[in-house]
Amino acid sequence: MAQSRILDLVKSQCRIFSLNFNPQRLRLGNKILRQRLRGPALSAWYPRKTVSFRDLQNTYKPLGLTTFDEYEDDREEAIQVSLRGKGRPKKKRSAAGNVILNNPPYRYIHMQPTTN
Amino acid sequence: MVKMAGMFRPRRLDLSGFINTRVIRDHNKRMAIEQTEPERQALRYMIRNTSLPQRVRAQAQLQLSQMHPYTRPTQVKNRCVASGHGRSIVRAFRLNRFQFRMQAIAGELPGVQKASW
Amino acid sequence: MIQSCSKPTVAHYSVRAERLGALGENARLPRSVQAIYLRPLRRKAEYGLPVCDLQLRSYSVDNVEFFADFAIRAAYYLNLPVSGPVPLPRLVQRWTVLRSNFVHKKSKENFERITLRRLIQIKDGNPQVVQTWLAFLRKHAFYGVGMKANVWEHESLGTVYPSLEIAWITQLLTTGDMTDVGKAMDESLPEIEQSLRPYLAQFGQRENKSAENAKFDILETGRFAERNNQ
Repeated sequence: MAQSRILDLVKSQCRIFSLNFNPQRLRLGNKILRQRLRGPALSAWYPRKTVSFRDLQNTYKPLGLTTFDEYEDDREEAIQVSLRGKGRPKKKRSAAGNVILNNPPYRYIHMQPTTN
Repeated sequence: MVKMAGMFRPRRLDLSGFINTRVIRDHNKRMAIEQTEPERQALRYMIRNTSLPQRVRAQAQLQLSQMHPYTRPTQVKNRCVASGHGRSIVRAFRLNRFQFRMQAIAGELPGVQKASW
Repeated sequence: MIQSCSKPTVAHYSVRAERLGALGENARLPRSVQAIYLRPLRRKAEYGLPVCDLQLRSYSVDNVEFFADFAIRAAYYLNLPVSGPVPLPRLVQRWTVLRSNFVHKKSKENFERITLRRLIQIKDGNPQVVQTWLAFLRKHAFYGVGMKANVWEHESLGTVYPSLEIAWITQLLTTGDMTDVGKAMDESLPEIEQSLRPYLAQFGQRENKSAENAKFDILETGRFAERNNQ
């Protein structure tokens, strides 16, 4: 069979199945267009925030229903404790204005005065 | 062009579960990739297409290389959903090997059993 | 048309048949209840043209066997010829992890997950009936069983283009132009959207709050109030 006949066949085949007819094998970058988009799969890795307690509160407060958030309550209680002076002592300030930390944070070297 | 990573940070954190800085950063990258993926693919197509004028292709190359690093798909790192660890992640469960083992033993992963053969 | 399964008698079916015999001594059970104790009935396929492949997946044999049985019975009552369940090869996934969270490379542990699969094939059924069957199975989905269905729809060229059928086929054969198919599908889109609108209208929350107030009214009146007083 003649070469041109086969080419015609391939050409119509490509048209029917909507493929690119490229007998010269030029690099047209079509493989990029054939790739699927990976974005949606990538962005779905971590679990998203759905409904928080605050959302529930916002929904039910206007209806006149009472809500109780234990975590929030604990936090407010802790604030009250520190306001009454029962919490951790405040950071002391030395004469030079440097902050001396009562609770040494991470990577803090606590120097003790040497007593001989 | 100033390349600030902060531009990809959402106004409100929309993650639940284990969160630390590295998880947030990785999540931001994933969001940035999702947003800019069509643009990147279009540029990549122009670069590979030899039938386009050389000038256009060179411009596309330049544009692609000037995009923010966060929009590059190679920047993502699969991190553990339960601990934020970045190494030895079991893809099927998105868990780090140790988290995977603990949850498997606790029976929280459906169908996973101790194997011996 | 009705033909019972030609497979050799499975042990548990004979056990069930015995139990059925014991039950039926005093009074005969209804036929539909009797059928539950026996092997599922099947319709005979006339043409044997596959229409739908349903794959069931589970991690436990009992669940997947039970649900496959259920699906076959449901297909019988919907007049769908069915073949299966074909046990497909199990999928075995194995993971080896270090036992500790830090160092101790030599101490490891193996885990595995075995997925069992069953294939149920529907033959020459009406597409709408197949959809009904799938919807029924989804409604009564069994715990721990996943479903995946491949549905094939066969359409005659005449339904796409009733009057121009012959002309269209000749056109296709001579020029290979299939744009008309896409055009016909595009044309039918608004019609489909129109038919879906009443169903989609049921979803989501309404902006107007009248319905919410009505809830409280209902709670305060009538039978609900009575129930509260009791």
